[in-house]
Amino acid sequence: MIKRVLFWLVTTVVLLFVLFPLAWVYLTAFKSNADIFDPRLIRFVVFKPTLDNFRNLFSQYPFWQNLLNSLIVSIGSTIITMLVAFPAAYSFARWNTGGGDLLFLTISTRMFPPAVAAIPHFIVFKTLGLLDTHWGLMLLYVFLNVSFATFLLYGFFDQVPKELEQAAMIDGYSRTEVFRKIVFPLIKPGLAVTSVFCLIWAWNEFFFAFLFTRNVARPVNVLISSFWGGLQVQYGLMAAGAAITILPALLIVGFMQRYIIRGLTFGAVKG
Amino acid sequence: MGRHASADFSMGPAGVESGAQTKRGRRPTIWETLTNERNFRWTLVVPLLVLLVIFAFYPLFYSMYFSFHDWGMQGSPVFSGLRNYRQLVHDTTFWVAFGRTIEVLVICITIELLLGLGVALLWNREFKGQNIVRGLALLPLLVAPLTLSLLWYFLLDFNFGAVNQLLGAMGFDKVYWWAPNKALFTICFITIWQWFPFSAFVLLAGLKSLPKDVFEAARVDGGSSFYTFRRLTLPMLSPLIMIIIVLRAMWLIRLMDPLFGTTRGAVNTELLDWIVYRTGFVMFDIGYGSAMAVVSWAATMVLCLIMFRQLMNSMRAGR
Repeated sequence: MIKRVLFWLVTTVVLLFVLFPLAWVYLTAFKSNADIFDPRLIRFVVFKPTLDNFRNLFSQYPFWQNLLNSLIVSIGSTIITMLVAFPAAYSFARWNTGGGDLLFLTISTRMFPPAVAAIPHFIVFKTLGLLDTHWGLMLLYVFLNVSFATFLLYGFFDQVPKELEQAAMIDGYSRTEVFRKIVFPLIKPGLAVTSVFCLIWAWNEFFFAFLFTRNVARPVNVLISSFWGGLQVQYGLMAAGAAITILPALLIVGFMQRYIIRGLTFGAVKG
Repeated sequence: MGRHASADFSMGPAGVESGAQTKRGRRPTIWETLTNERNFRWTLVVPLLVLLVIFAFYPLFYSMYFSFHDWGMQGSPVFSGLRNYRQLVHDTTFWVAFGRTIEVLVICITIELLLGLGVALLWNREFKGQNIVRGLALLPLLVAPLTLSLLWYFLLDFNFGAVNQLLGAMGFDKVYWWAPNKALFTICFITIWQWFPFSAFVLLAGLKSLPKDVFEAARVDGGSSFYTFRRLTLPMLSPLIMIIIVLRAMWLIRLMDPLFGTTRGAVNTELLDWIVYRTGFVMFDIGYGSAMAVVSWAATMVLCLIMFRQLMNSMRAGR
């Protein structure tokens, strides 16, 4: 009994530690400026809720447009990433193409510090007129995500036994049929996890978005960061913006918790 | 291995072969050539390779080219030989940032592993609402690091921040978390807060996959729980611990977003990538910035190669 109480006590402490700042975002988003800067402790939770922050965010700033930019760029880059990574991962897993070296080369590009790529990319993008465009940002995110996506998918493909495919081929299935009827159903969870990771990373990315966009293609993260700085920090607006951009993460955790944990371990642990 | 498998494949009456029979006597189309048994695996990889050459390797060599030139984004680059590198060797700011990055690496990974292991051991059992609890703990990993660091900047504000208000209510002195001697540790704290769930979940998955009979045998033999942990659990988890260290090191070397959200590189918090960014994009010294980028790339590659070898060894030993 004491053990159970202790277990829940520690679990609660851990959860409070993790969730307190996130709860804080939602509390602050509904506070008026006077309440945000009120030093009394009771104002943490007891205050008169207001929608002013959200109203200002949508009326005085191009919040809709930036949210839409984030959406376009993250979905577009995820689609391109998957179109490139999916066949490559299948080839690596099925035929061991390049004997492992090629796969390592692919992963190694993920170790490049972003600043190495940022300067040349900036110059090339400037010449090609890709700065501050959706396409430019999409291509950058494809580059940032594609090697990891390939690696993740490789792990999932690797768990599909080759014998299964061979048996089906001997039974007279064509390659497309083998893929559609045997490999694809087995790989579906892996496909979902990898796409979700790509989506989240593109949605959350800041450094390249900050450098490569100004107005037209500016994602919502960059707008939120602009509330920081200069003489005053607009905490209310910042919190309202953050509260909205955190929503996709909340939804995904709700739906896919189990699969995400599987993806995090990269097939290193079976189970 | 690969060759063997493909030989097995061509035995089956695959679509490509039967197609070739019906259209005998005609040169194969480009599509048929690309998808025949010999070429198909390469066709599948080519888009990836093209993309990596354009977006990863070309910029790398472009950076190397710039590192031997002087350029301020105006006019054309002027060849300057090894001057940038010579300057870099004597640049204390750069090497201090380098050391600081290593410091952050060691602090964050150690504490994340310890916290993660604690949480993993705590939750390695069936309990009511386990899915909800685990899902909630996963949240920080999915939220933008920039948003979280802005948030923590607010929470740790000297006058209005919730943390200082709580400290004040409990009778402690307020702390200026962004003081020059504390700012780096505050940034580490934010990073650890966001990422310890990662270690926790990887280790939890590891604990769940451990063979149960070994532990029962140990209990029957009367081994204390600490002894079992040290002699059985920890060695079996070591490949996963290695994976966490390698991945986290890869990500931490490029720690950037928390700097943007908090100190913007001020008060002793400049890290490796921040310095490259500042030289290249704030001071527009492309040549010198590229030299820094190349050195930081080389250091990262060496570190990653060493750690990858370690990882492979420990994974082989774990089998």
